[in-house]
Amino acid sequence: MTHLSEEELIALYYGESANDGDARRHLNLCRECWTQFGELEQVLGGIRPPAASQRGAEFFERVWQGLRPALTPYDCSERRGWRIWMRWKTVGLVTACALLLALVFMGGRIWERQKSNAARVTASPNRQASQRLVVVVLTDHLDRTERLLVTLDHAKAGDSVENSVLQTQAQELLASNRLYRMSANEAGDPALAAALERLERVLAEVANEPTLSAADLDRVRKEMNTEAILFEIRVLLSKTPNGMSGAERGKGVSI
Amino acid sequence: MNGNDHSVIRAVLAGDKEAYSLLVRAHGQTVFRVAFRIVGNEADAEEIVQETFLRAYQGLAGFERRSEFGTWIYRIAVNCALNRVCQTGVDAEYRCGEESDPEQRIVQVASSTADPERSVLSREIGAAHAQAMQRLTATERTAFILRHMEDRSTGEIAELLGIAPNAAKQAVFRAVHKLRRELAPLRGNA
Repeated sequence: MTHLSEEELIALYYGESANDGDARRHLNLCRECWTQFGELEQVLGGIRPPAASQRGAEFFERVWQGLRPALTPYDCSERRGWRIWMRWKTVGLVTACALLLALVFMGGRIWERQKSNAARVTASPNRQASQRLVVVVLTDHLDRTERLLVTLDHAKAGDSVENSVLQTQAQELLASNRLYRMSANEAGDPALAAALERLERVLAEVANEPTLSAADLDRVRKEMNTEAILFEIRVLLSKTPNGMSGAERGKGVSI
Repeated sequence: MNGNDHSVIRAVLAGDKEAYSLLVRAHGQTVFRVAFRIVGNEADAEEIVQETFLRAYQGLAGFERRSEFGTWIYRIAVNCALNRVCQTGVDAEYRCGEESDPEQRIVQVASSTADPERSVLSREIGAAHAQAMQRLTATERTAFILRHMEDRSTGEIAELLGIAPNAAKQAVFRAVHKLRRELAPLRGNA
């Protein structure tokens, strides 16, 4: 059985014990703790407040008369001044908070701008690289289209094998051409988009013709003005960046 | 009384210093009682009453309207008394109660009408109590008085003395421990 400590006994005596019920149950069971508690009660019970005679109204009147000369009346204007000062203090505090908020907001904006600039600087090499890749791929597409149009101009009506190869190539180029045209539109390059659109019509005509006869080839050449489109493609090819050699252009990959 | 106190305070702060006498009369008795219990003599307690009300008047502008004036002035009184004990080393005169509370199993000490032998014994016990109280530090003594005589809780003692609740509790425990040790020889006489 764990006995109650002196602190626990004191707390119990003053009614501040955390577990009053348990402590009292223990006291009833434990003779030693009961004795200790009895001694504590005996000592503390014997200590009584020092007896002082009650002070009557005349005493407090005397206190007041003693105090009176030492008291300076509160000045109303001083109090009003204090209130005004407090009001200004509040206004100042609110203004300071607003300024702080504005500073934080502006700081945040500047920080965001700097961050986005840094991101742009970091991203620009990637962008240049991707533009370069697009140019290479488009150049390759235009090269292949140029070859197809040259072949179309010199195609013979009776050579069915060669004509079927021509149709297959036209079908392949038609799909990629559509993508390039859409990209040119999105990129805001109307000249390139228009040229690709005209080219797409020729490719569609060749690709979708069931039997590519001599008359069909002739019609396509005349109606679509393939020579003009071929010229246009050559002009577009000549506009590719100077730094890009023919060999490099040749290495382009189609999508 | 609380609403009254606040209206009196408003009047005082508006420049009517005479209104302050109402607060002196209303709370003077409590201030005197606690001061007397801490310092142990009437002359010092009277001076503390004066000092307490003077300090309260000077700080009245900063008094929080939300709190009770009675609690506030009581705290000032305790601090004034504690300062007095610390500064002058007042030897509080504690006496043993003449009659004990039967519910608290308080030791029965001689009454004034008892025979001379018991009267002598009573004086001896009173002197021993006073001596035991003098062995306590100012904080221990004040904490003990607030707990034992003013019936203040540990939390209230901590607030009044401006210390942590645990420190207040320990101050009371140390005081009781010392008193038990000092008064142990008396137990045989009781």
